[in-house]
Amino acid sequence: MSKSTSILDRPILKPRTDQVSMSAYGYLYSELVQYHQTRASSISELEERLASSGYGVGFKILELLSYRNKDNRRETRIMSILQFISSSVWKSLFGRAADSLEKSIEHTDEYMIFDYNPITSNFVSVNKAVSDAYISGIIGGVLEGAGFTARVSAHSVDIEEGEMKNGLIGMPSRKDKAVFLIKFSEKVLERDAKLDR
Amino acid sequence: MSKSGSITAAGQNLWAKVPKANSELFALTYGSLITELIRDYDQNIPEINNQLDRIGYSIGVRCIDELFAKSEVNGVQIPSCRELRETAEVVAKIGFRMFLGVSCDVGKLTEKSFSLYLSENPLSIFVELPQNEVGVDGSSSHGPDWTQLKYSNVYCGVIRGALEQVNLKVECEFVGDMLQGDDVNEIKVEVKEVIADGAGEDYQEE
Repeated sequence: MSKSTSILDRPILKPRTDQVSMSAYGYLYSELVQYHQTRASSISELEERLASSGYGVGFKILELLSYRNKDNRRETRIMSILQFISSSVWKSLFGRAADSLEKSIEHTDEYMIFDYNPITSNFVSVNKAVSDAYISGIIGGVLEGAGFTARVSAHSVDIEEGEMKNGLIGMPSRKDKAVFLIKFSEKVLERDAKLDR
Repeated sequence: MSKSGSITAAGQNLWAKVPKANSELFALTYGSLITELIRDYDQNIPEINNQLDRIGYSIGVRCIDELFAKSEVNGVQIPSCRELRETAEVVAKIGFRMFLGVSCDVGKLTEKSFSLYLSENPLSIFVELPQNEVGVDGSSSHGPDWTQLKYSNVYCGVIRGALEQVNLKVECEFVGDMLQGDDVNEIKVEVKEVIADGAGEDYQEE
């Protein structure tokens, strides 16, 4: 095949600044959800299927961002990979950092990423957590690709009085936020503890 | 200002006002949809093309609603289309611009058909199609024939769905695809029928 510009010759180092409209993404994503919905027999299967769609995206975005990262760093610690996800990955995919990253108080192997307005449930009114499963899949993919085996799940939590609200312009502000719960496997925690010494 | 110029301006105006999402996320999400289709339909390529068209159709019927609604809200005038040339311009300069932020050109205009040329395709920024498997003796093997895959066939469905809502029954075909080595992406749109208004006499305004 004689292609004048093969995709492999195109530069990927510079992050692309071009955008599409939010609604175009909304339509496309809703079709992905509907596609899975017709094939899933239960809510949990739908979540699983969406997460598995996101999983591949996670791997690819990790590779892409690692190439673009100028200081050739490789994240080896739990905290730094989580920060990488909630800032770099989030910024490159959603144009902004995640709203917060927290460590669970009750369980030492659990971490949480909060987002008040994830793009996957912007236009969803019921069962937002199911729709956010796609993002949990992306997180899972990035973590697995970086060598941190973890189980990631998406949840939806009501926001408390006085908490920040930043809905989309023209949309009613949301009464809930997305929580991505990340539970690392024991081996990962052991390794991280060893590195502490 | 010429009519075509005002259509272009309307498209850019609308594009400036809609909320945006990252194009890489868009491309990767579309890619994961394609991956699912290829897996679920067992690499049956004609069926995958059909499914993409169907998916596009259901997007298209919503798109056109949004296009009219957003132009009304934002005070952007969309000229009414009296002939096919104007319809084609609106699809290219307003539709593609407003949703995908790309420019798109109209060509090969006849009374019943036109072609849309898309030099940038936001769906395929990371895509390279696999080569067909070739057997040891040089014969083609049993693998799927990737040259048949219309990766961006979803556009055809979108255009078909959108135009059907405004009483134009069209058939679309993705005739040129840069992923397959063509110089430009070309979507051929052919008008089959202008649907008469559906409402019966009972519903007509007095």
